[in-house]
Amino acid sequence: MDFTFLIGQALTNGLIIGLLYLLMAIGFTLVFGVMRVVNFAHGEFYMLGAFSAYVCVTKLQLPFLAAVLATFAFTLVIGWIIEVVVMKGFRGDELNGMIATIGLAMILQNGALMVFGPDPQSMPPAAEGVVSLGPVMLPMSRLYVVAFSLVVLVVLYGFLMHSKGGRALRAVVQDIEIANAQGIRSQFMYPLGFGIGVALAAIAGALMAPVFSVSPSIGSTPLLKAFIVVILGGLGSIPGAALAALLLGVFESVANTFMSSSFSDMLLFCFVILMLIFRPSGLLGKAGR
Amino acid sequence: MTTSTMTDKSIRGAGPGTPTRDRAPGGSWKAWIPALLVLFATPLLLAGNAFYIHLAVLICLNIIFVNGLALINRTGQLSFCHAALMGMGAFVAVICTVRFQAPFLLSVLAGVAASMLAAYLLGAVILRLQGVYFVLVTFCFGELFRLVLLEGGDITGGANGIANIPPASLLGFAFDSKLSFYVLAAACAFLSILLLIALFKTPKGNSLDAVGDNPDLAEASGISIQGSQMFAFVLGSAFAGFAGALLAHYLGFVSPESFNQHISVAAIIMLVIGGRGSVLGPILGALIMTPLPELFRSAIETQNIMYGITLILVLKFLPKGLVGLVGAASRFRNEGGR
Repeated sequence: MDFTFLIGQALTNGLIIGLLYLLMAIGFTLVFGVMRVVNFAHGEFYMLGAFSAYVCVTKLQLPFLAAVLATFAFTLVIGWIIEVVVMKGFRGDELNGMIATIGLAMILQNGALMVFGPDPQSMPPAAEGVVSLGPVMLPMSRLYVVAFSLVVLVVLYGFLMHSKGGRALRAVVQDIEIANAQGIRSQFMYPLGFGIGVALAAIAGALMAPVFSVSPSIGSTPLLKAFIVVILGGLGSIPGAALAALLLGVFESVANTFMSSSFSDMLLFCFVILMLIFRPSGLLGKAGR
Repeated sequence: MTTSTMTDKSIRGAGPGTPTRDRAPGGSWKAWIPALLVLFATPLLLAGNAFYIHLAVLICLNIIFVNGLALINRTGQLSFCHAALMGMGAFVAVICTVRFQAPFLLSVLAGVAASMLAAYLLGAVILRLQGVYFVLVTFCFGELFRLVLLEGGDITGGANGIANIPPASLLGFAFDSKLSFYVLAAACAFLSILLLIALFKTPKGNSLDAVGDNPDLAEASGISIQGSQMFAFVLGSAFAGFAGALLAHYLGFVSPESFNQHISVAAIIMLVIGGRGSVLGPILGALIMTPLPELFRSAIETQNIMYGITLILVLKFLPKGLVGLVGAASRFRNEGGR
């Protein structure tokens, strides 16, 4: 085990984890952009996505690709319904909306506890085999994660930048009143934005389900990591989030090679505080208040 | 869009500078204080039942704890590290008592000072930023604090925490029975309520409300947003630290998991269900929500789902919390009487 091997392995693992943090953070940013609400239930949608993939693969015997697509569709619909039924009264209401998502998180997590029980479930890997890139070994199942995340990100980029619905969604994020004046039906955009945002978290969960175990409490760590990415990247900046997510993944992976994970977490929190003191707008963010 | 602005207004009440807002619904505080005294005296009648006294102590400590959160919330912020600051007070007080054999009063003061210092340093960093950062960073700080406690080795006792904490004692009198500690806790809770009532009668208190109601207007009237929010955050955290120090000396035991995120969320639930924006809300919230987990011990999942649903329903239909219901009832009575 030489040093370059360790670093190389840590870097590639870090990039893979970073891609997942990116999916989480973009979903979180999208929900915040549209609703102006910090979504405390975001981690529970990650958990929901993991369970959805687990049920699709082990109970319904679907192939992994179909399971991920089904998870996306399922959580998009769930998110849409939740937005209309629960969150509708809290659009643009920063404080109450946030507290409502805490209630939502409690309902989702304890609902999953009642249905699936507290024990961690394991799921078969998405693919067998190992690819070696020089000295670095990459399990196929992790390469799947990379490929899927990249495809999702490209599709999302295409949707947001080049489709009518995506342009309307971005207009609502930028300025709801001007968007309304331009004839965008914002009543339609709120559930769409919320649905896509939480479905991105669910895809991250579905992709991670074969790599880690699945249990009702897995949502809290990705939620915390999404918060950190958003603080580091600057709230609302997607390029900033991308940079911060990849850096966070690499940092964690490299740090965990050399120190205990709770110590690397503490180091990370200190870094977050330093960042807020010296560059509060985030890595690439614009200046705030 | 219209709906959200409507609810905004109804929650935040009238504009800044309306001194009526700190008055309790249904009458002035002169009428409420005797009622509160009777309420605090009731558990003394149940002195035979240790479990009821235990619950009453927890309710009193929760009143102090949630009062602190309510104070922070009056300036429009919601702290997600309230439990961590409670833990800060608890651990510093316990370490002073156990390691340095400091007297009870001194170690409680040290605990409160530590919570205030932590809140001041945290506030100095995050209150310069937009409101959302406050939530995100306080949430992360809560996690960091738990990790530090877990990794603290001999000083914090790691995952085991610290046990065998001597009971509270003042002027040679030890509060070593449940009943005697209840008297101490009730007196402290009552004082914390009086402190809040007094604060919101002063111009300083009104300026805190003004910042919560309409920050831009408050700033235009010459009130410092950052200064007011800092004041509320530091004072509110002192309440949390105080409650923590008392709790540690009551239970005789502290551990990192007694101060995790669930406790912060529990405080938020008590505050929202009881009612924000009035001094009565946290009292009602603590009074109702503290005994509930004891009643539903066997079905914790169902209980949490009910909490989630209640939280959303209260936010939707009763944005002022249960206090709003009391206010509406007394208005109804008044109008019926005329």
